[in-house]
Amino acid sequence: MNRTPYAELLSMLSRHRGVVGSFVVSERDGLAVDSNVQIGVHAEAVAALAASLHRKARLACGAAGCGTVTFLRLDAEKGGICAAGRDDLVLVTISEARANIGLLRVEMMRAAKALT
Amino acid sequence: MADEIRRLSDDLARDPSSLVFMPLADALRRAGQLDIAMRVALRGLDRHPYLADAHDVLARIHADRGDLERAADEWEMALRLDPSHPQANLGLGFVDFRRGNLESAERRLSAAGASDQTGSVSAALAHVRTALGSRSENGTTDTGGATAVPNVTTAVESRVVEVPNAVVARMATPARNRIVTRMTPPSIAEYPAPDRAHARQLFSSVLDAADQSALLVDADGLVLAGTYADRSGLDVAEVVAAELAGVSSEAERAMRHLGLGAWTSLLVEADDAVVAMTPAPLGSLLVVATSRQTPVGLVRLLLDRALTRARDWLARVS
Repeated sequence: MNRTPYAELLSMLSRHRGVVGSFVVSERDGLAVDSNVQIGVHAEAVAALAASLHRKARLACGAAGCGTVTFLRLDAEKGGICAAGRDDLVLVTISEARANIGLLRVEMMRAAKALT
Repeated sequence: MADEIRRLSDDLARDPSSLVFMPLADALRRAGQLDIAMRVALRGLDRHPYLADAHDVLARIHADRGDLERAADEWEMALRLDPSHPQANLGLGFVDFRRGNLESAERRLSAAGASDQTGSVSAALAHVRTALGSRSENGTTDTGGATAVPNVTTAVESRVVEVPNAVVARMATPARNRIVTRMTPPSIAEYPAPDRAHARQLFSSVLDAADQSALLVDADGLVLAGTYADRSGLDVAEVVAAELAGVSSEAERAMRHLGLGAWTSLLVEADDAVVAMTPAPLGSLLVVATSRQTPVGLVRLLLDRALTRARDWLARVS
Protein backbone atom coordinates (compact mmCIF):
# COMPACT_ATOMS: atom_id res chain seq x y z
CA MET A 1 0.00 0.00 0.00
CA ASN A 2 1.40 3.43 -0.95
CA ARG A 3 2.13 6.04 1.69
CA THR A 4 -0.80 8.44 2.21
CA PRO A 5 -1.42 11.59 4.27
CA TYR A 6 -2.73 9.30 7.02
CA ALA A 7 0.48 7.36 7.55
CA GLU A 8 1.73 9.48 10.42
CA LEU A 9 -1.66 9.50 12.13
CA LEU A 10 -1.95 5.72 11.88
CA SER A 11 1.58 5.25 13.13
CA MET A 12 0.81 7.41 16.14
CA LEU A 13 -2.33 5.40 16.97
CA SER A 14 -0.50 2.10 16.54
CA ARG A 15 2.02 3.13 19.15
CA HIS A 16 -0.68 3.07 21.84
CA ARG A 17 -0.40 0.22 24.30
CA GLY A 18 -2.33 -2.83 23.12
CA VAL A 19 -3.14 -1.45 19.66
CA VAL A 20 -2.30 -4.06 17.02
CA GLY A 21 -3.51 -2.17 13.98
CA SER A 22 -5.10 1.00 12.72
CA PHE A 23 -6.46 2.02 9.37
CA VAL A 24 -8.48 4.57 7.48
CA VAL A 25 -11.32 3.01 5.53
CA SER A 26 -13.97 4.26 3.17
CA GLU A 27 -17.37 3.71 4.75
CA ARG A 28 -19.08 3.56 1.35
CA ASP A 29 -17.18 0.62 -0.15
CA GLY A 30 -15.28 -0.77 2.85
CA LEU A 31 -11.90 -0.41 1.15
CA ALA A 32 -8.90 0.48 3.29
CA VAL A 33 -7.34 3.78 2.25
CA ASP A 34 -4.28 3.29 4.43
CA SER A 35 -3.31 0.93 7.22
CA ASN A 36 -0.68 0.28 9.82
CA VAL A 37 -1.16 -3.22 11.16
CA GLN A 38 0.93 -5.90 12.76
CA ILE A 39 1.72 -9.01 10.76
CA GLY A 40 -1.12 -11.52 10.86
CA VAL A 41 -3.97 -9.02 11.14
CA HIS A 42 -6.52 -9.44 8.35
CA ALA A 43 -6.70 -5.73 7.67
CA GLU A 44 -8.83 -5.79 4.52
CA ALA A 45 -11.54 -8.05 5.92
CA VAL A 46 -11.69 -6.25 9.24
CA ALA A 47 -11.68 -2.85 7.54
CA ALA A 48 -14.68 -3.82 5.46
CA LEU A 49 -16.58 -5.16 8.46
CA ALA A 50 -15.73 -2.15 10.62
CA ALA A 51 -16.89 0.18 7.85
CA SER A 52 -20.11 -1.75 7.54
CA LEU A 53 -20.73 -1.61 11.31
CA HIS A 54 -20.07 2.11 11.30
CA ARG A 55 -22.48 2.57 8.42
CA LYS A 56 -25.22 0.58 10.16
CA ALA A 57 -24.70 2.53 13.37
CA ARG A 58 -24.83 5.82 11.46
CA LEU A 59 -28.05 4.88 9.66
CA ALA A 60 -29.67 3.59 12.86
CA CYS A 61 -28.72 6.75 14.71
CA GLY A 62 -30.06 8.82 11.84
CA ALA A 63 -33.37 6.92 11.98
CA ALA A 64 -33.57 7.41 15.74
CA GLY A 65 -32.71 11.09 15.55
CA CYS A 66 -29.57 10.66 17.62
CA GLY A 67 -27.42 12.88 15.45
CA THR A 68 -24.01 12.12 14.01
CA VAL A 69 -22.03 9.12 15.22
CA THR A 70 -18.84 10.32 16.89
CA PHE A 71 -17.34 7.13 18.23
CA LEU A 72 -18.02 3.41 18.05
CA ARG A 73 -16.53 0.66 20.13
CA LEU A 74 -16.97 -3.07 19.63
CA ASP A 75 -15.84 -5.08 22.65
CA ALA A 76 -14.93 -8.74 22.61
CA GLU A 77 -13.51 -11.17 25.13
CA LYS A 78 -9.88 -10.44 24.27
CA GLY A 79 -9.95 -6.97 22.78
CA GLY A 80 -12.01 -4.96 20.36
CA ILE A 81 -12.37 -2.42 17.61
CA CYS A 82 -12.81 1.34 17.91
CA ALA A 83 -13.97 3.57 15.09
CA ALA A 84 -14.42 7.29 14.62
CA GLY A 85 -15.66 8.69 11.35
CA ARG A 86 -15.97 11.84 9.40
CA ASP A 87 -17.87 12.11 6.12
CA ASP A 88 -17.08 8.94 4.18
CA LEU A 89 -13.84 8.10 6.01
CA VAL A 90 -13.61 6.03 9.16
CA LEU A 91 -10.59 5.74 11.38
CA VAL A 92 -10.40 2.26 12.89
CA THR A 93 -8.13 0.71 15.51
CA ILE A 94 -7.86 -2.89 16.60
CA SER A 95 -6.79 -3.37 20.18
CA GLU A 96 -6.13 -6.05 22.72
CA ALA A 97 -7.78 -6.06 26.13
CA ARG A 98 -4.83 -4.29 27.75
CA ALA A 99 -5.31 -1.13 25.66
CA ASN A 100 -6.27 2.13 27.36
CA ILE A 101 -9.55 2.68 25.57
CA GLY A 102 -10.22 6.02 27.22
CA LEU A 103 -7.00 7.50 25.91
CA LEU A 104 -7.42 5.88 22.52
CA ARG A 105 -10.93 7.27 22.26
CA VAL A 106 -9.77 10.83 22.89
CA GLU A 107 -6.95 10.50 20.34
CA MET A 108 -9.22 8.96 17.73
CA MET A 109 -11.96 11.54 18.07
CA ARG A 110 -9.39 14.29 17.78
CA ALA A 111 -7.76 12.62 14.79
CA ALA A 112 -11.08 11.94 13.06
CA LYS A 113 -11.75 15.67 12.88
CA ALA A 114 -8.72 15.97 10.63
CA LEU A 115 -9.89 13.28 8.21
CA THR A 116 -10.61 14.63 4.74
CA MET B 1 -22.08 -14.46 70.03
CA ALA B 2 -21.11 -10.86 70.71
CA ASP B 3 -17.49 -11.64 69.88
CA GLU B 4 -18.52 -13.32 66.67
CA ILE B 5 -20.64 -10.33 65.65
CA ARG B 6 -17.81 -7.94 66.47
CA ARG B 7 -15.32 -9.98 64.49
CA LEU B 8 -17.62 -10.26 61.48
CA SER B 9 -18.45 -6.54 61.66
CA ASP B 10 -14.74 -5.73 61.60
CA ASP B 11 -14.25 -8.02 58.61
CA LEU B 12 -17.09 -6.32 56.76
CA ALA B 13 -15.78 -2.87 57.61
CA ARG B 14 -12.39 -3.83 56.16
CA ASP B 15 -13.93 -5.11 52.94
CA PRO B 16 -17.51 -3.89 52.40
CA SER B 17 -17.81 -5.90 49.19
CA SER B 18 -16.96 -9.19 50.90
CA LEU B 19 -19.44 -11.99 51.45
CA VAL B 20 -19.06 -11.77 55.19
CA PHE B 21 -22.34 -9.86 55.30
CA MET B 22 -24.12 -13.22 55.21
CA PRO B 23 -22.70 -14.74 58.39
CA LEU B 24 -22.92 -11.32 60.05
CA ALA B 25 -26.61 -10.88 59.20
CA ASP B 26 -27.30 -14.41 60.34
CA ALA B 27 -25.42 -13.93 63.62
CA LEU B 28 -27.36 -10.71 64.24
CA ARG B 29 -30.58 -12.54 63.53
CA ARG B 30 -29.72 -15.28 66.01
CA ALA B 31 -28.88 -12.59 68.55
CA GLY B 32 -32.36 -11.15 68.03
CA GLN B 33 -31.12 -7.90 66.43
CA LEU B 34 -33.49 -8.30 63.53
CA ASP B 35 -33.57 -4.71 62.27
CA ILE B 36 -29.79 -4.50 62.02
CA ALA B 37 -29.65 -7.98 60.54
CA MET B 38 -32.13 -6.88 57.89
CA ARG B 39 -30.10 -3.79 57.02
CA VAL B 40 -26.88 -5.80 56.71
CA ALA B 41 -28.55 -8.44 54.54
CA LEU B 42 -30.21 -5.90 52.24
CA ARG B 43 -27.01 -3.91 51.82
CA GLY B 44 -25.15 -7.11 50.98
CA LEU B 45 -27.79 -8.13 48.49
CA ASP B 46 -27.42 -4.79 46.76
CA ARG B 47 -23.87 -5.82 45.93
CA HIS B 48 -24.44 -9.54 45.47
CA PRO B 49 -28.01 -10.00 44.21
CA TYR B 50 -27.36 -13.44 42.71
CA LEU B 51 -26.29 -15.28 45.85
CA ALA B 52 -28.82 -17.90 46.86
CA ASP B 53 -27.33 -18.13 50.36
CA ALA B 54 -27.84 -14.40 50.86
CA HIS B 55 -31.52 -14.68 49.95
CA ASP B 56 -31.75 -17.61 52.36
CA VAL B 57 -30.34 -15.47 55.17
CA LEU B 58 -32.79 -12.66 54.39
CA ALA B 59 -35.65 -15.16 54.30
CA ARG B 60 -34.78 -16.32 57.82
CA ILE B 61 -34.77 -12.76 59.05
CA HIS B 62 -38.24 -12.22 57.57
CA ALA B 63 -39.40 -15.48 59.11
CA ASP B 64 -38.12 -14.46 62.54
CA ARG B 65 -40.03 -11.20 62.17
CA GLY B 66 -43.14 -13.24 61.47
CA ASP B 67 -43.37 -12.13 57.85
CA LEU B 68 -43.77 -15.51 56.18
CA GLU B 69 -44.93 -13.91 52.94
CA ARG B 70 -41.62 -12.16 52.39
CA ALA B 71 -39.67 -15.10 53.74
CA ALA B 72 -41.29 -17.29 51.11
CA ASP B 73 -40.46 -14.73 48.41
CA GLU B 74 -36.79 -14.82 49.38
CA TRP B 75 -36.63 -18.59 49.56
CA GLU B 76 -38.28 -18.81 46.17
CA MET B 77 -35.65 -16.42 44.82
CA ALA B 78 -32.93 -18.59 46.37
CA LEU B 79 -34.39 -21.61 44.62
CA ARG B 80 -34.45 -19.80 41.29
CA LEU B 81 -30.77 -19.07 41.69
CA ASP B 82 -29.94 -22.53 42.98
CA PRO B 83 -32.74 -25.05 42.35
CA SER B 84 -31.07 -27.55 44.69
CA HIS B 85 -30.71 -25.14 47.62
CA PRO B 86 -31.73 -27.42 50.53
CA GLN B 87 -32.42 -24.73 53.13
CA ALA B 88 -34.65 -22.76 50.77
CA ASN B 89 -36.56 -25.92 50.07
CA LEU B 90 -36.94 -26.64 53.78
CA GLY B 91 -37.94 -23.07 54.53
CA LEU B 92 -40.66 -23.19 51.90
CA GLY B 93 -41.74 -26.57 53.25
CA PHE B 94 -42.39 -25.04 56.65
CA VAL B 95 -44.12 -22.03 55.17
CA ASP B 96 -46.34 -24.38 53.18
CA PHE B 97 -47.15 -26.29 56.33
CA ARG B 98 -48.07 -23.11 58.18
CA ARG B 99 -50.33 -22.18 55.31
CA GLY B 100 -51.97 -25.59 55.29
CA ASN B 101 -50.48 -26.62 51.94
CA LEU B 102 -49.73 -30.07 53.29
CA GLU B 103 -48.96 -31.90 50.06
CA SER B 104 -46.44 -29.28 49.02
CA ALA B 105 -44.98 -29.19 52.54
CA GLU B 106 -44.60 -32.96 52.58
CA ARG B 107 -42.93 -32.93 49.18
CA ARG B 108 -40.45 -30.21 50.12
CA LEU B 109 -39.60 -31.53 53.56
CA SER B 110 -39.13 -35.08 52.41
CA ALA B 111 -36.93 -33.85 49.55
CA ALA B 112 -34.36 -32.65 52.08
CA GLY B 113 -31.19 -34.67 51.79
CA ALA B 114 -30.08 -36.98 54.59
CA SER B 115 -27.64 -34.37 55.92
CA ASP B 116 -30.48 -31.86 56.24
CA GLN B 117 -32.87 -34.29 57.93
CA THR B 118 -32.39 -32.94 61.42
CA GLY B 119 -34.61 -33.90 64.30
CA SER B 120 -36.82 -30.88 63.83
CA VAL B 121 -37.25 -31.57 60.14
CA SER B 122 -38.11 -35.18 60.85
CA ALA B 123 -40.57 -34.09 63.53
CA ALA B 124 -42.17 -31.59 61.19
CA LEU B 125 -42.41 -34.19 58.47
CA ALA B 126 -44.07 -36.59 60.87
CA HIS B 127 -46.61 -33.89 61.78
CA VAL B 128 -47.30 -33.17 58.13
CA ARG B 129 -47.81 -36.83 57.36
CA THR B 130 -50.06 -37.28 60.36
CA ALA B 131 -52.09 -34.26 59.30
CA LEU B 132 -52.30 -35.57 55.76
CA GLY B 133 -53.42 -38.95 57.07
CA SER B 134 -56.13 -37.46 59.24
CA ARG B 135 -57.32 -35.30 56.38
CA SER B 136 -57.65 -38.28 54.06
CA GLU B 137 -59.57 -40.15 56.76
CA ASN B 138 -61.85 -37.29 57.91
CA GLY B 139 -61.93 -35.16 54.81
CA THR B 140 -60.72 -32.23 56.94
CA THR B 141 -57.44 -30.49 57.29
CA ASP B 142 -55.78 -30.81 60.66
CA THR B 143 -52.94 -28.37 61.04
CA GLY B 144 -53.33 -28.27 64.77
CA GLY B 145 -50.05 -30.10 64.93
CA ALA B 146 -48.39 -26.95 63.70
CA THR B 147 -48.20 -25.67 67.23
CA ALA B 148 -45.95 -28.56 68.11
CA VAL B 149 -43.75 -28.06 65.09
CA PRO B 150 -40.60 -26.01 65.54
CA ASN B 151 -40.83 -22.52 64.14
CA VAL B 152 -39.60 -22.01 60.61
CA THR B 153 -36.09 -20.82 61.28
CA THR B 154 -35.52 -23.21 64.17
CA ALA B 155 -36.28 -25.99 61.77
CA VAL B 156 -33.67 -24.87 59.26
CA GLU B 157 -31.19 -23.82 61.94
CA SER B 158 -28.82 -26.72 61.36
CA ARG B 159 -27.42 -24.90 58.36
CA VAL B 160 -26.91 -21.63 60.21
CA VAL B 161 -23.52 -22.56 61.56
CA GLU B 162 -22.51 -24.07 58.26
CA VAL B 163 -23.34 -21.05 56.14
CA PRO B 164 -20.80 -18.75 57.73
CA ASN B 165 -18.08 -21.36 57.66
CA ALA B 166 -18.73 -22.18 54.04
CA VAL B 167 -18.76 -18.53 53.13
CA VAL B 168 -15.59 -17.72 54.99
CA ALA B 169 -13.92 -20.71 53.39
CA ARG B 170 -14.98 -19.46 49.99
CA MET B 171 -13.67 -16.01 50.73
CA ALA B 172 -10.27 -17.43 51.50
CA THR B 173 -9.89 -18.80 48.00
CA PRO B 174 -9.65 -17.11 44.62
CA ALA B 175 -12.78 -18.98 43.68
CA ARG B 176 -14.87 -16.35 45.45
CA ASN B 177 -15.32 -14.25 42.36
CA ARG B 178 -16.10 -17.30 40.30
CA ILE B 179 -18.81 -18.24 42.75
CA VAL B 180 -20.44 -14.88 42.25
CA THR B 181 -20.10 -14.75 38.49
CA ARG B 182 -21.33 -18.26 37.83
CA MET B 183 -24.62 -17.57 39.54
CA THR B 184 -27.49 -17.66 37.13
CA PRO B 185 -29.13 -14.28 36.63
CA PRO B 186 -32.40 -14.15 38.52
CA SER B 187 -35.69 -15.01 36.99
CA ILE B 188 -37.50 -12.03 38.40
CA ALA B 189 -41.02 -12.63 39.52
CA GLU B 190 -42.26 -9.22 38.50
CA TYR B 191 -41.45 -9.76 34.84
CA PRO B 192 -44.41 -9.21 32.61
CA ALA B 193 -46.15 -12.43 31.71
CA PRO B 194 -44.89 -13.91 28.45
CA ASP B 195 -47.73 -12.34 26.58
CA ARG B 196 -46.62 -10.90 23.27
CA ALA B 197 -49.03 -8.01 23.73
CA HIS B 198 -46.91 -6.95 26.69
CA ALA B 199 -43.68 -7.21 24.75
CA ARG B 200 -43.51 -3.48 24.14
CA GLN B 201 -43.40 -2.78 27.89
CA LEU B 202 -40.86 -5.51 28.59
CA PHE B 203 -38.08 -3.14 29.63
CA SER B 204 -40.18 -0.44 31.31
CA SER B 205 -39.13 -1.30 34.85
CA VAL B 206 -35.49 -1.81 33.87
CA LEU B 207 -35.02 1.72 32.58
CA ASP B 208 -34.42 4.57 34.98
CA ALA B 209 -35.51 7.63 33.03
CA ALA B 210 -37.75 8.82 30.25
CA ASP B 211 -34.79 9.47 27.96
CA GLN B 212 -33.91 5.77 27.89
CA SER B 213 -35.14 3.16 25.42
CA ALA B 214 -34.56 -0.55 25.06
CA LEU B 215 -35.31 -2.73 22.11
CA LEU B 216 -34.90 -6.42 21.35
CA VAL B 217 -34.35 -7.11 17.67
CA ASP B 218 -34.25 -10.49 15.95
CA ALA B 219 -31.60 -11.58 13.47
CA ASP B 220 -33.68 -10.29 10.55
CA GLY B 221 -34.03 -6.80 11.97
CA LEU B 222 -37.57 -7.26 13.26
CA VAL B 223 -38.67 -5.93 16.63
CA LEU B 224 -39.21 -8.64 19.24
CA ALA B 225 -39.84 -6.46 22.27
CA GLY B 226 -39.41 -2.98 23.67
CA THR B 227 -39.81 0.45 22.17
CA TYR B 228 -37.53 3.12 20.80
CA ALA B 229 -38.78 6.67 20.84
CA ASP B 230 -37.01 9.56 19.13
CA ARG B 231 -36.70 12.97 20.73
CA SER B 232 -40.20 13.95 19.66
CA GLY B 233 -41.62 10.84 21.32
CA LEU B 234 -42.35 9.06 18.03
CA ASP B 235 -41.77 5.29 18.16
CA VAL B 236 -39.08 4.55 15.59
CA ALA B 237 -38.39 1.02 16.80
CA GLU B 238 -39.08 -0.69 13.51
CA VAL B 239 -36.86 1.61 11.47
CA VAL B 240 -33.99 1.37 13.95
CA ALA B 241 -34.35 -2.41 14.11
CA ALA B 242 -34.27 -2.67 10.33
CA GLU B 243 -31.10 -0.57 10.13
CA LEU B 244 -29.43 -2.78 12.70
CA ALA B 245 -30.18 -6.06 10.92
CA GLY B 246 -26.98 -8.02 10.55
CA VAL B 247 -24.99 -6.09 13.14
CA SER B 248 -24.62 -9.18 15.29
CA SER B 249 -23.30 -11.38 12.50
CA GLU B 250 -20.90 -8.69 11.25
CA ALA B 251 -19.53 -8.11 14.73
CA GLU B 252 -19.10 -11.82 15.17
CA ARG B 253 -17.29 -12.14 11.81
CA ALA B 254 -14.98 -9.21 12.59
CA MET B 255 -13.99 -10.74 15.90
CA ARG B 256 -13.46 -14.13 14.28
CA HIS B 257 -11.06 -12.58 11.76
CA LEU B 258 -9.15 -10.97 14.58
CA GLY B 259 -9.21 -13.93 16.94
CA LEU B 260 -10.43 -11.73 19.78
CA GLY B 261 -13.15 -14.09 20.98
CA ALA B 262 -16.88 -13.56 21.07
CA TRP B 263 -18.15 -10.00 20.88
CA THR B 264 -19.75 -8.76 24.04
CA SER B 265 -20.98 -5.23 23.36
CA LEU B 266 -21.12 -2.48 20.78
CA LEU B 267 -21.22 1.08 22.06
CA VAL B 268 -22.11 3.92 19.73
CA GLU B 269 -21.67 7.52 20.81
CA ALA B 270 -23.61 10.06 18.78
CA ASP B 271 -24.18 13.78 19.16
CA ASP B 272 -27.40 13.35 21.12
CA ALA B 273 -27.38 9.79 22.40
CA VAL B 274 -25.35 6.82 23.51
CA VAL B 275 -26.55 3.51 22.06
CA ALA B 276 -25.30 0.20 23.42
CA MET B 277 -25.92 -3.23 21.94
CA THR B 278 -25.17 -6.76 23.00
CA PRO B 279 -25.90 -10.19 21.56
CA ALA B 280 -28.99 -11.79 23.08
CA PRO B 281 -30.31 -15.37 22.88
CA LEU B 282 -31.65 -16.86 19.64
CA GLY B 283 -29.43 -14.63 17.51
CA SER B 284 -31.23 -11.52 18.65
CA LEU B 285 -29.72 -8.15 19.45
CA LEU B 286 -30.48 -6.05 22.51
CA VAL B 287 -30.28 -2.29 22.06
CA VAL B 288 -30.33 0.27 24.85
CA ALA B 289 -30.26 4.01 24.13
CA THR B 290 -29.83 6.89 26.54
CA SER B 291 -29.29 10.59 26.31
CA ARG B 292 -25.74 11.88 25.82
CA GLN B 293 -25.67 13.04 29.44
CA THR B 294 -25.83 9.48 30.77
CA PRO B 295 -22.42 8.23 31.86
CA VAL B 296 -21.18 5.44 29.60
CA GLY B 297 -20.62 3.15 32.57
CA LEU B 298 -24.28 3.46 33.52
CA VAL B 299 -25.32 2.63 29.96
CA ARG B 300 -23.45 -0.65 30.21
CA LEU B 301 -25.15 -1.38 33.53
CA LEU B 302 -28.55 -0.74 31.94
CA LEU B 303 -27.59 -3.05 29.11
CA ASP B 304 -26.79 -5.84 31.59
CA ARG B 305 -30.09 -5.37 33.38
CA ALA B 306 -32.06 -5.34 30.16
CA LEU B 307 -30.22 -8.44 28.95
CA THR B 308 -31.22 -10.36 32.07
CA ARG B 309 -34.80 -9.47 31.40
CA ALA B 310 -34.59 -10.28 27.70
CA ARG B 311 -33.09 -13.70 28.41
CA ASP B 312 -35.84 -14.60 30.83
CA TRP B 313 -38.56 -13.38 28.51
CA LEU B 314 -37.16 -15.16 25.46
CA ALA B 315 -36.83 -18.38 27.43
CA ARG B 316 -40.52 -18.21 28.24
CA VAL B 317 -41.95 -17.14 24.91
CA SER B 318 -39.75 -19.19 22.62
